[in-house]
Formats: sequence, C-alpha cells, structure tokens
Amino acid sequence: MQFLLLIDENEERFASGFDPGDVPDYQTFGQQHASAIKGGSALHPTTEVKTVRVRNGKVLTTDGPFAETKGQLGGFCLVEAPDKAAAAAMAAKITGARFGCVEVRPIMTFS
Amino acid sequence: MRYMMLVYTQETEMEKASPEEMAKVFAGHVAVQQETQRRGILRAADPLKYTSSATTVRVKDGKTLVTDGPFAETKEQLAGYYILDCADLDEAVEWAAKIPTGCGGANGCVEVRPIHEFPKGPQGEPVVASRG
Repeated sequence: MQFLLLIDENEERFASGFDPGDVPDYQTFGQQHASAIKGGSALHPTTEVKTVRVRNGKVLTTDGPFAETKGQLGGFCLVEAPDKAAAAAMAAKITGARFGCVEVRPIMTFS
Repeated sequence: MRYMMLVYTQETEMEKASPEEMAKVFAGHVAVQQETQRRGILRAADPLKYTSSATTVRVKDGKTLVTDGPFAETKEQLAGYYILDCADLDEAVEWAAKIPTGCGGANGCVEVRPIHEFPKGPQGEPVVASRG
C-alpha cells in the first residue's frame, strides 16, 4: 500500500533560511527507508503559492494557499508500507514531525 | 521546474455525486493525465482516500503522538495531487485550471506549489526536507 506523508511545519522556522542541522536527519531517513520511499520533495514557501478556482468556466487565480493554517505544507514523501501503522512509524522519523506534524494519507487505488 | 498541484474538494459534496458526475470527473483526470503524459511533463498523480482515513503524527520530546484525522480542519479537503514539469508558473496555473476538483461541480480549488529541488543523497537516494 502507498501512503502520502504530508509534512506540516510552521514555516517561520525557515524565515532566515534553511536549518543545515536538518539535512543529516533527512538524509538518514532517506537512507534507512530508501526501498520504501517512492518519491518526495520539499516545497517552496507558501508566499510563492497560487490557488486556482474554476467557476462557470472562468479561471480565478489568487495568491497564497487555499486555507490559512497554523502549520504549512513544506514537503511530502510517498512511501510503500504494509499498513497505516507502519507508515505512521515512518512518519515519526521525519524531522518535521518534531517541529510540526506529518499527516499520513492512504493513496486510493482503482481496481 | 516541477510544480505540485494539490487538489482540494468538498468530501461531503463528493459523497452526494451521481455515478454520471463521478464518471465525468474521472474522465477529466484521465484527459489531463493523458495529455501531460503525451507532452512528457507528467511526473506523478495520485488520488487520496477520504480524510476519515488520515492519521496525523507528532513527535514531542521523543514521544510519538498519533491522532486520527488530518492536521487541520478545513472547508475543503485534500483529495489528490499532481506533479507536473512546467516551463513556468503561468503554465502550471493553466494545467491546474484543467484539473477537475470534485464531483458534480462541487466547489473546490487547486493549489499550485513550486517544488524545491534538493540535491540527492550520496547514493542518489531521495532526500526529503521541509524546505530550503
């Protein structure tokens, strides 16, 4: 089963740049779960986000994320895990889980 | 540059959608995926199960806290995502406008987020990071 791990952190932590101390932790996570990780990326801050709505055939584009939330989506990881508990255990090893949270979402599969 | 398109929809409206409306949305996704694949810019696309199946994980003082549900209650819910390799934000927005957001014309939106390209690890393994 595949799960999307959504890393939500207060992006103010990165207001003055990326914390180099995070890199080894993320690298260790990447190495330990190399075979389970199917994809993953960091995202630019929400100041660079656009939200697109289509209403009555018209495209409405606004700056910023679709909702103001306490934490902001800063990155994600797509993993293969036998069940949700295993995916949650993996999520707990992501650095962002210590500063914010990691949301675990099962991927829908169509038969 | 790669962009992540986060597809938000109202789950309560999706539940009310007819099979015909569902089929229309499904066909819309197939059309976007076929066209982006043909152009060689489709990097990933996945639908997610409902937020009722979500789990949120926090680690505080070395202890793992697991709660049911998404990290934030919002009017619309994350239902899936695309990753497309676009020339610029304008092209990304054009594709985002073509992605169906929910069933039966339910109100939804697509958030367009540029991906931060991180270096790979020593063995070329993916290195995830919150952002840089």
